[in-house]
Amino acid sequence: MKILGVGSGAREHAIAKKLSESRYNPKIYWVGENRNPGILRICERSEGEFIQGSTTDPEFVGSTAKRLGVDFVFVGPEEPNFHGVPDRLEALKIPCIGANRSVALIEMSKAEMRRLQWEYDVPGKLLFQTFKSAEEAYATLQRYSETLTWLQNVALKPARQAGGKGVKVVEDRQIYLHEEKQRFKSKHVGWLEGYMRGYGDIEDKILVEENVWGPEYTLQCFTDGKTVLGMPMVQDNKNAHEFDIGTETGGMGSISGPDMCLPFLTMSEYEASLRIVEKMVSAIQDKTGKRYHGVVAGQMMLTEVEGPTIIEMYSRLGDPEALNVLHTLKNDLVDVCLAIIDERLSGVRLEFGNKAVVVKAIAPKGYPDNRRLAAGHPVEVDEARIAEGGCELFWASCSLQEDGRIVSAGSRLVEILAADETLPEASARIEKVISAVRLADGWGLFHRSDIGSEELLKRRAELAERVRRLYHYRLEKGTIGKRVDWLPGVGKVDPVKMLKEGLRR
Amino acid sequence: MPGIMGFYPFGEGRENWDASRFLYYGLTALQGRGEACTSIALIDNESKQISVHTKNSHVEEFYKLLSGNKVRGYIGVGQVSPSEDDGLVEVESPTRLVLAGDGKPSYEGERGEAFRRLAERLSTLLAEKNDPLDAAAQVISEAGVGFSFIALTENEEMICCRDPLGVKPLEVGAVGFDLGIVSSESAALDVVGATHSGPIQAGECVVFDPLSIRRRKQGISNRRAYCAFEYVYLARADSYINDIPIYAVRERIGEVLAEEKDVEGDVVIGVPETALPFALSYSRKKSIPVKLGFMRTGRHVRSALKPTQFERLMGVQLKLNPIKAAIDSKDIVLIDDSVVRGNTLKNTVLNLRRRGAKRVHVRVGSPAIISHCPFGTEVPPIDELIGRALSEDEIAEIIGADSFSYLSIDGLVKAIGLPKHMLCLGCFTGEYPSKEEVR
Repeated sequence: MKILGVGSGAREHAIAKKLSESRYNPKIYWVGENRNPGILRICERSEGEFIQGSTTDPEFVGSTAKRLGVDFVFVGPEEPNFHGVPDRLEALKIPCIGANRSVALIEMSKAEMRRLQWEYDVPGKLLFQTFKSAEEAYATLQRYSETLTWLQNVALKPARQAGGKGVKVVEDRQIYLHEEKQRFKSKHVGWLEGYMRGYGDIEDKILVEENVWGPEYTLQCFTDGKTVLGMPMVQDNKNAHEFDIGTETGGMGSISGPDMCLPFLTMSEYEASLRIVEKMVSAIQDKTGKRYHGVVAGQMMLTEVEGPTIIEMYSRLGDPEALNVLHTLKNDLVDVCLAIIDERLSGVRLEFGNKAVVVKAIAPKGYPDNRRLAAGHPVEVDEARIAEGGCELFWASCSLQEDGRIVSAGSRLVEILAADETLPEASARIEKVISAVRLADGWGLFHRSDIGSEELLKRRAELAERVRRLYHYRLEKGTIGKRVDWLPGVGKVDPVKMLKEGLRR
Repeated sequence: MPGIMGFYPFGEGRENWDASRFLYYGLTALQGRGEACTSIALIDNESKQISVHTKNSHVEEFYKLLSGNKVRGYIGVGQVSPSEDDGLVEVESPTRLVLAGDGKPSYEGERGEAFRRLAERLSTLLAEKNDPLDAAAQVISEAGVGFSFIALTENEEMICCRDPLGVKPLEVGAVGFDLGIVSSESAALDVVGATHSGPIQAGECVVFDPLSIRRRKQGISNRRAYCAFEYVYLARADSYINDIPIYAVRERIGEVLAEEKDVEGDVVIGVPETALPFALSYSRKKSIPVKLGFMRTGRHVRSALKPTQFERLMGVQLKLNPIKAAIDSKDIVLIDDSVVRGNTLKNTVLNLRRRGAKRVHVRVGSPAIISHCPFGTEVPPIDELIGRALSEDEIAEIIGADSFSYLSIDGLVKAIGLPKHMLCLGCFTGEYPSKEEVR
């Protein structure tokens, strides 16, 4: 058997590893922008091949797959989906685990995702509005700042998935800091407009959503378009720095287990979240008439107004969340892939081990805002020490040079995984081997020591409990999902109704 | 025991934030810790230079005095202090830095002098060592016990440290994907809309730079010396210090007071503001109704901390006008937070009697203050401390109360809920944690 993988991050390293462990003993071929040393090694060992090249060029990936005569292709990241790599493979009659361009829209356009959710009335919605320019956005934020509450407390996002960049949350609840927040909002919508000029594939530019608070989690699922199979819940940590401070990143580390559920969430929240993802899959298939083959994930939050709520959708495994679930997945990943291809996932039972898993990313200083600073540094890793510490290394954004040196490519450098009885034990295990990774030129690295710690878990649990109390109360009262507001001089208004009327127009 | 705060933005557009607005409201929230001197330092958005502003005034007046000057910057630290001329410490070279400090490190000299030595040492170490985290860790290991500080360097590093026994508090919060805020008390984080992430640990240093936050904790024993006076008096009731909610401690203090020295009365009255939670839970425990006994006039002034006798008396008279209708012909259990010299309390009891109180039993929510504080909390000279000189019965006689009693030291420890080896009870016992206990 021959399998071709696409992408060259830590997620893809984890996928390649899992595929290579299959009882089919497949030859692993891979296409990636960076020569990821981990994937390279797996290709070599399985007598496959690593081919450096563009992962977003459907012609290139398609012709490579055809030339190699692979049995199927596994697409790791989202951008190949957005660029129609799975579509091209389908045209070539090569089976593919990867959302085609049409269904991947639920990730590519955060605005379209939200419209679809409202249109199909999938639970876990947020109020939103989209704009084509900064001027337009600012006019609305300005106009409503004295009135509609939700437009004062907002998340400002690029309307397109843009590698987790550019999201700002501005809560404007302290009237004495209003001017300051307002000024910041106006600057940021201007920045978003400029940033989105780099993406011509979508009409909406700026997305404004109501701000919510609560614990976040990712529910990743396999789907063949008919059946959606959930994996264990994972919590990623998006803030770049310790104490949950700082810039949004692709994810600085993730925790999962020991069960399907995170320690601070409940099984009924798991079930409700899975229903939401299922509904989104059937909505996008209904809307586009296309089949969804691959991975779908809800990046979710437990919120006061809605309970389990969609923040964003993924059309692929999360990174680093993929590492958590693939580590504990007991099934042969190739079997799962074949079931997706043949659309017989309903007959598959996913099984997972019961270890607590922590993954931590290590990034060069400069990530995520100034990737040029983060790139080009020679990497030194004491792999033996990491293995002796009971941890597993996954190579991420770095490239093996011709001369045998490994050089950083600007994003998260490596991810380290540890599994143990409890999350704090797994976290402590990683902390002991962190210094095994360094940059030979002395440039700084950073990671989050607090991920998986007792301290952080306690705060997450406390936060979840507070939100749970509120949304359960709403469930009892029958006010879940309802918003009401008062516009002085206008009267009582229903922001949900206003939004729906806007969508009909 | 000044209040200190640091403001540090991250990410795209970080230069767009104005730290001075956040410091204004944050420092205002910390003003219970001192208001004789306000001092802030800001890093200018364009020149990247640090400017420092210090005035002997409270925060509101400070900003009024400053208006017209250019006080803008995207990174900043600030300090409010109970003593005049006690502003941020500035060091020019080898590394230019400013430092806001609470408590007092174990260097020679007064508080300001000791922090100056610490700041100079930090400046030197920063120049010598490659990594500011190494410099910060070294300073922590050299400077003894009894301090927290936030230093801001010309290289846009914000260095936050707590001494190895954690005497003085330092809490961290976050705003959205942008801001990191460090403050003496969590209440100041609430006021500026930050989410409280938790305390910096005893012996921990945290270094903010434009591209990262890194922290290091020294290997230390289980010994802590969290200041017990924070829980009784210094911190705001809406703060968490070392993960312990101040309000809950104060409620328990009221309960313990009610258990320790039995007394009958018609009404429980708390001396505003600090003693109010004591009074509420005392009342609940004893099933004696609590009433509002006093109305305040003018700004909230913390009477125990005022430097001169005259100001103290003026402060208390302006502050506390008894409500006659609540106390007339009643037996009163009067709850106060602490007694330093006893003269404000004497005045209060007299005022209650004049408004018709029959009996006045005084209960104090902290043990007798008998000794100084080596960590910079302003305690008058020991010969002025009434609790050191006199017994409870003698104090009752002098202040004109029918009975008088303190909370016991064990009662305080029980109310805080931590074992004794985690607290500094020095002002109540005269025994202080020392740097020898660090290892």
